[in-house]
Amino acid sequence: MIVTKDHIGGLIFLCLSVIYGYYTGDIALLPGDEYEPFNSQSLPYALAMLGGALSLGLLITAKSDLNNKLSLRGYDFLLVFKLLLLVVLFALALEWVGFLLATVFFLISGYWLLGERRTKMLLLASVPFAIGIWFALTQLLDVYLAPGQLYILLFGG
Amino acid sequence: MLDGIFTGLSTAVMPFNLMMVVVGCFAGTFIGMLPGLGPISAVALMIPITYGIDPSSGIILMAGVYYGAVFGGSTSSILINAPGCASTVVTSFDGYPLAQQGQAGKALALAAYSSFIGGTIGAIALLIAAPALAAVSLSFQSTDYFALMILGLTAVAAFSGKGQVIKAMIMTVFGLMIATVGTDKTSGVPRFTFGSVDLIDGISFLLLAMATFALAEVVMTILNGKHKEKDAQLSMAQLGSMKLSKEEILHVAPTVARSSVFGFIVGVLPGAGATIASFLAYGLERNIASAKEKLKFGKGSLRGLAAPETANNAASTGSFVPLLTLGIPGSGTTAIMLGALIAAGVQPGPRLFVDNPEVFWSVIISMYFGNLVLLILNLPLIPYISKLLTIPRPILTPLILFFSITGVYLVSFNTFDIHMMVMITVVALFLKLLEFPMAPMLLGYILGGMMEINLSRALVISDGSFAFLWERPLTLGIMIAAIFMLCLPPILERLNKRKAVSGPEVAINEGEG
Repeated sequence: MIVTKDHIGGLIFLCLSVIYGYYTGDIALLPGDEYEPFNSQSLPYALAMLGGALSLGLLITAKSDLNNKLSLRGYDFLLVFKLLLLVVLFALALEWVGFLLATVFFLISGYWLLGERRTKMLLLASVPFAIGIWFALTQLLDVYLAPGQLYILLFGG
Repeated sequence: MLDGIFTGLSTAVMPFNLMMVVVGCFAGTFIGMLPGLGPISAVALMIPITYGIDPSSGIILMAGVYYGAVFGGSTSSILINAPGCASTVVTSFDGYPLAQQGQAGKALALAAYSSFIGGTIGAIALLIAAPALAAVSLSFQSTDYFALMILGLTAVAAFSGKGQVIKAMIMTVFGLMIATVGTDKTSGVPRFTFGSVDLIDGISFLLLAMATFALAEVVMTILNGKHKEKDAQLSMAQLGSMKLSKEEILHVAPTVARSSVFGFIVGVLPGAGATIASFLAYGLERNIASAKEKLKFGKGSLRGLAAPETANNAASTGSFVPLLTLGIPGSGTTAIMLGALIAAGVQPGPRLFVDNPEVFWSVIISMYFGNLVLLILNLPLIPYISKLLTIPRPILTPLILFFSITGVYLVSFNTFDIHMMVMITVVALFLKLLEFPMAPMLLGYILGGMMEINLSRALVISDGSFAFLWERPLTLGIMIAAIFMLCLPPILERLNKRKAVSGPEVAINEGEG
């Protein structure tokens, strides 16, 4: 039997529906709610059952077609991982060094990861852009951007 | 109705709103041109901007972006055979061969004129259809609303393409499941928050839309290695003349007229949208063409180009009818608009016509302006706008990523949202690799809350009995339509098997237009 994308998808959603249904039991009910025709658990239980039934339907109707097999060849997962890691680091940098420096760091690293190596281009496409955005937000739109924990630690609030 | 038109006109002609139309059309054209980014991504990228402005201006901006993105998608289809979105895939069938024959300018002009006429006829039909439907839908009760939501959800699944129905339904259920995360609106009880304070308000619509349609789309192009591809750079000299002869205009005029009406009707159907309209209009035109004309299809036929272009714009306009009058989105893009309107405190549906007439009418009126802007400003500027595509991908991609992330961050100022975005993007990427459509999930998420409230009301009124589904004729009628929608794909598949279809075969992945 060939395991296809439909089989994998069906199995994942079947597991999700079971887990979802299991945690539905943890939803607290207000006193007397269990006698009401509709309470906080009603829709989640219905969705868990519907999700389970549809997943089983997908698993049963999935054809073992070779063309539908999941192939991960030719995809650049490493680059995507690095970029998403960069996004996570950007979030951390926002808290610690503030919007302006975090943006410059994110853009330069992003350009670099995607293959741009010219220093002049790296700086020109990031620093003026970051300053421009920061200026527009703080000075023109009057949006408050926190300076970053590191700045507060060093220079005080 | 005349009062409404004046209300809409006075709101739409406000300098700020006119500026929104122009900005929206330009931004949409540019984003729509980028291969891989379609109207959904373009509209999703605009959501953070709409949070800071008036709801009328916000939806006017998004409507402008919607048209612009459809038009921009046509441009990249014709010039570099890389459709920016699914609804302009058909445009490349005849548009690109025309460009290869040195008639890119003519193809672009025809696409613009067809879009303009399709959009304008669509806007006139919307002007007539929307208030009439809104007036009727004022008598709707919670049972009818529940049935309508079921219809909207099943319609999206029904139009999701061959072999995709179960997957689309699973994604709809997944969206409904996501909608249950956070505090229950009826009882105030937290659900699936796992003790996290950040999940008390649930997963924000903006975050979900940006992660699945902006961030995931961009990351998908990186995963496929498309960011390494260099876009064809066309000089103005290569575009050729933008003029159409009188014979050519007369040749395509009936096609444009037919496709406008046809596209609008398809667009009104919940779940169908611009993509399906463009495919069907192309198929219709090909079927009714003479044997000699039929041979030209796929090789640079003017009718083959005009039909999908007219239909996709008319359908884009048509998809506003269910959105504005019933609160049920006709496509993935209008689903995002629905979410943005709800976030802005405006509830689309029958009451919109009464409670927020300025939003209702200004959208309709601004559509005329949007079409005019596309024709008068965008067409002559296409050679220059397309030059923006020459920005190297390694520079453009991180910038789009930056706008997606900061768009979410600048609304909540909570870095947890960025982490959440990354998690949702990873899930969305995986689901995309497994070929699960994303639009039904978003629709399920948006309609989930409203559906639960209406179901709860209906059940309380009927004392826990599901008899409300068949006791009221209107509810029963809508439920029958929903069941019909679900039965439609297998019937169509069986019919298609009987009748072998020749010509360019393209799968419609999701009703996203």
